[in-house]
Amino acid sequence: MTRWGMVIDLKRCIGCWACIVACKSENSTPPNIFWTKVLEREEGTYPDVRRLFLPIRCNHCLNPPCVEACPTNATYVRKEDNIVMMNSNKCIGCQACVIACPYDARYMYKDKKGYFGKELTPFEEVGYKQHEIGTIQKCNFNVDRIDKGLNPACVEACPTKTLNFGDFDDPESHVSKLKKTNESTQLRPELGADPSIFYLDAYRETAEVDG
Amino acid sequence: MNQEFSIDNFREQTAWDWRIAFYLFLSGASGGLIFVEIVLRIFDVIGNSTAILGAWIGLGLATLSLFVLFTHLGAGRARWRAFYVFLNIRHSWISRGATIVTILMGLRFMFILPEIWHDLPWGEGTLAGSFLRGAIMLFALAFMAYSGLVLSWWKSIPFWNTFLLPVVCIGYSFLCGAAALPIIIIIVEGIDGLESTGSVLWPLLLVLIIINGLALFAYIKSKSSDDIAAQESIRRLTQGNSKRPWWIGVILIGLIVPLIIVSLASLNLIGSSDFASYVLITACGCIILGGYLLRYCVLRVGIYAKFI
Repeated sequence: MTRWGMVIDLKRCIGCWACIVACKSENSTPPNIFWTKVLEREEGTYPDVRRLFLPIRCNHCLNPPCVEACPTNATYVRKEDNIVMMNSNKCIGCQACVIACPYDARYMYKDKKGYFGKELTPFEEVGYKQHEIGTIQKCNFNVDRIDKGLNPACVEACPTKTLNFGDFDDPESHVSKLKKTNESTQLRPELGADPSIFYLDAYRETAEVDG
Repeated sequence: MNQEFSIDNFREQTAWDWRIAFYLFLSGASGGLIFVEIVLRIFDVIGNSTAILGAWIGLGLATLSLFVLFTHLGAGRARWRAFYVFLNIRHSWISRGATIVTILMGLRFMFILPEIWHDLPWGEGTLAGSFLRGAIMLFALAFMAYSGLVLSWWKSIPFWNTFLLPVVCIGYSFLCGAAALPIIIIIVEGIDGLESTGSVLWPLLLVLIIINGLALFAYIKSKSSDDIAAQESIRRLTQGNSKRPWWIGVILIGLIVPLIIVSLASLNLIGSSDFASYVLITACGCIILGGYLLRYCVLRVGIYAKFI
């Protein structure tokens, strides 16, 4: 088995949004739809202040609540590598998955609007054909790239190597070693979804600054 | 900084709006009406013609609830794939709800048929009829519970994630179903019918109002010391942008006003004039409005758990 996932080193993230732009470019996502986002927080008291950046995306959980919530099996887990996928041809747009997902990873594609006025640009015209209005979309780790042996576009674009992608079921993989040799955490592990994205130093940063 | 990109920002759910609130309200009210109508018919509190109209209205409300859900589904081709909705009964509450309501409507429709074709072997008083009636009550109860379980099952929104929410929803479903009956009685039997059934209906409504008030209090109280997102939900409910529908709609119009009127009716202090009957019907309307607004408020203040 393969368990694709990420280790995100928060100490390295500079909030440049290169991952967001790469994702939008790779997947031609419409306005207001972010398969990946970088959240931020200002921490500390002057002069000891810093900004914490938190890249988020679909966590490709081992127990994905979205898959359980979906009434039509439009959301499913790809058995060979545990990637949570969307089949737009089955999605009815009930948004139960949006409610069930604790990680703000799912977006409804509501209308065919482009970034530049009423008309779509030729790039948007071609790119948006892969999206169906009235259905849900989300990060799929750029499954086409993975199947070709490439990293997801966001990982390739990250200039500080904040995003590390690999197979957690392979003990020799880069991500397994990173996870093993560092203190890592999942987002809200008590919710029981068992995400495949691990964060390094998510809490220590806050503690250091506050201290 | 754009609030959407702030770690500290509370994320409000916007996926399920007033239409889902209306769908959940109709689901509960239709289940409640069907259940209460059958029970009161068994004990001969209401007449056969009232029970039949109640059954038709219950079926109509259930159908309307499905239509409202349909309008909420994704635009374009997406919503026309609604028949796939039965594919994940093992896990999805939307699937289970669709299955429950389909079976409930089928059974209830079957139960009405002997009124049209008298030779059918499952009419009132037969063994098959009793089994059918039991099955209908079971599925009506399941439909009432579903309207709460579909929200409470997920841990993503702490304000919803409690067994008390389905309890409140079942209670309100009974309340709204029972409040719809006097309106049906006055349509079928007139004011005289209301007077003859009042000795059972008003105390029943009074008990249901009190139980629901207590259940609602227990729900809000239990969540006031829960996750920070649940506390924010309560703040918005009682002091924030939902305070008017909550205090005026759910509490004042939906509980306190009907409580006073129904208490007076239970103690025979309201008289039996036409005006008194209309006041009582208005109280029933208030209960039903409160039932909808409760779902609306609960959905509106749904806030996701924070990331860190």
